[in-house]
Amino acid sequence: MTIVQPTTSPPPAQSQTAVPAPVVTQHAVSRHSVPGRVRTLTGAVLIALAMLSALLAFGSGSAREGLRVIGHDSGPQVVATAGLYLGLSDMDAQVADVLLMGSEYGERRTTAMTQYEKRRTEANQALLDAFELADGDPAERLTIQSVLDGLGRYERLAGEALLLNTQSDHRAGETPEAVLRVYRQATDLMRLELLPKAYNLTLESGTIVRRTHDEETAAVRLLMLGLIAALVAAGGLFVALQLYLARAFRRRLAPALLVATGLTVIAGLVGVAVLGQVLQSIASAKRDGFDSVLTTARARAIGNSLHADQARYLLDPARADTYEHAFLDKSQSLVYADGGNVEAYHATLAKNGRISLGLLAPVRANIAGNFAAYRRFQEADGRMRALATSGAKPQAVSAKLDELAKSFTAFDRELVTVGERYEATFTKTVAAGDGALDGLWRLAPWALGAAAVLIAAGVWPRLREYR
Amino acid sequence: MRRLRIAALAVLALVTASSCGTGGVESVMGKDTIRIGVRTDLPGIGVRTADGGFAGFDVDVARYLANKLGARPEFVPVLAADREKVLADDRADLVLATFSITQERKSRVLFAGPYHLSYQDILVRPDENDIKNVRDLAGRRICEVQGANAGQRVVEERKVAAQLVPVPDYGTCLEHLKSEQVDAITTNDIILAGLAAKDGSGLRLLNARFNEQRTGVGLRVGDVEGCEAVNRAITDMYQDGTAKSLLKKWFGTTGLDFSTVAVPQFEGCS
Repeated sequence: MTIVQPTTSPPPAQSQTAVPAPVVTQHAVSRHSVPGRVRTLTGAVLIALAMLSALLAFGSGSAREGLRVIGHDSGPQVVATAGLYLGLSDMDAQVADVLLMGSEYGERRTTAMTQYEKRRTEANQALLDAFELADGDPAERLTIQSVLDGLGRYERLAGEALLLNTQSDHRAGETPEAVLRVYRQATDLMRLELLPKAYNLTLESGTIVRRTHDEETAAVRLLMLGLIAALVAAGGLFVALQLYLARAFRRRLAPALLVATGLTVIAGLVGVAVLGQVLQSIASAKRDGFDSVLTTARARAIGNSLHADQARYLLDPARADTYEHAFLDKSQSLVYADGGNVEAYHATLAKNGRISLGLLAPVRANIAGNFAAYRRFQEADGRMRALATSGAKPQAVSAKLDELAKSFTAFDRELVTVGERYEATFTKTVAAGDGALDGLWRLAPWALGAAAVLIAAGVWPRLREYR
Repeated sequence: MRRLRIAALAVLALVTASSCGTGGVESVMGKDTIRIGVRTDLPGIGVRTADGGFAGFDVDVARYLANKLGARPEFVPVLAADREKVLADDRADLVLATFSITQERKSRVLFAGPYHLSYQDILVRPDENDIKNVRDLAGRRICEVQGANAGQRVVEERKVAAQLVPVPDYGTCLEHLKSEQVDAITTNDIILAGLAAKDGSGLRLLNARFNEQRTGVGLRVGDVEGCEAVNRAITDMYQDGTAKSLLKKWFGTTGLDFSTVAVPQFEGCS
């Protein structure tokens, strides 16, 4: 920025836009006089400072919004809706178990009924939570309402099946057709209507998080660029003001202005650095935390429902093929191994190869022993099915309720542990981002405010010389 | 504050517009016209009409989805073998062509939906009372249609010892069923429904519902935004009753069980 032009006296500089007209108006004189120029330059510096402040505010606002949605809004919603799926799925699983047990397994039947009641309470609570969190999304609220309605119908049907079951007083694995007829209606309602809706609600929370993440990170990135531009402009204007004051008043540098420059540059650079750090926090909270929490939540949901398919397979021989296929399909969507039927799937799985497809493939590094617990569960499934097809129904039922249930619990517990680990990462990164933003908010307004005061302090004495 | 922020973003976006593109895969979002691959060889699902248009369940669903995405559909005829290719070669943006979602396909195709669940089912003569589910096909004669694996799935997957009678196509199979050369036809329920409707002599669909198949909307891998938007449109289609009315329109008189028409469980877009 060159200012010097060979002209007449005191005002040592003329702008390039200086009037070529022969007559110089009063207004033009005052603008091009020394105080006029000082005022203009000071004004420009203050405007640059204001822009810098505004961009910092907008940038941290966007970053805050991103953290809020991912960390405090949709994150918890995913947990709520995943809880809903699990609660619903397990209700039907417990009913199937009780119907399978008949008049045997006294104590275990009581436990299953208690579990059913507990899950019902959990599902109702999760529905209420999800409804509250879906504030402002009519489609989602409609879905939740229809699940609520359906749950009422389900409870009625399940209650009827359980009553008929008690009255029929049958041996384990020999559930009468009258009971099955009612149970089929109940489980169809659950599997074909309620569970898909609950699952889709969880997916929808994931969609909201992805959108917010993409929008807010793009916004923060853009605002960071703006911040850098404003910083460069402010720096340039500071230098221009300093140089002009030095030349016009034949002084060395103004210390107040120097400090103001330093404060502005530091606040700007810290702002850029903090926004960069928060961007990383958001990306990491999404990728290493949220996405994986969502994956394990979905995996638990599918796991619970395929475990219930094992009970249904034993319970309802007329539909055994349907349930066996459903079990295989869900197993393959969870942990893919080649195989057109359950036996072939088990055989491929037994080869202990690398798992590269299926919902759990992306988190395989965190699953102990190359899915050892899952493989044990599938081996137990093979034994149960072998017993069932060889006609040893009571033994198959006992295998389902003992070995199979235990190996499933072990696998499910592992998923819970993995999910908790991801949740911890998630909470930590969200907190780190929040902390960095708080720090910025404590520092930047003061620094920029002080810079503005210092500019006034540096320029005011010079202007006073013209009074 | 929010308005100011948006204004600031708009200005900055203008300034930096040229410097950074969105990157990645081209999305179906924001297009005026969406090219959609549909079948032309399946009655009730996707066929060419006399005037050169397209008609069927998949075609109507495609129209609905395109409308929800704010675009005009432009149909691209595809056969079963071309479904992945039209996406890869950028000849279609979406594929609705009885495209079953499988784990193996998911590495090459991003699936929205499923928008419909179908099952392998069994069609029998009106007087047949011994066949109630797939197990009852043991020792009975069923068609093995050239190029289709439904018959084999009964024998190999379900391990039911049915006798396979090779035939060139479903039309021949239908004739065999009526002349008692086979005892049942088994394949996808909506294909069976189409056959029964065409025949009109009261053949019975058992609603045995084994081997669930999820029919999804194929998109290019990476178009997560498009996939999520299609999922929302499918949810709407079930919520506003369009799904039920379309199913009834195309398969209403075929004996398919429509007691439960509910939105299917989505695959997820990531």
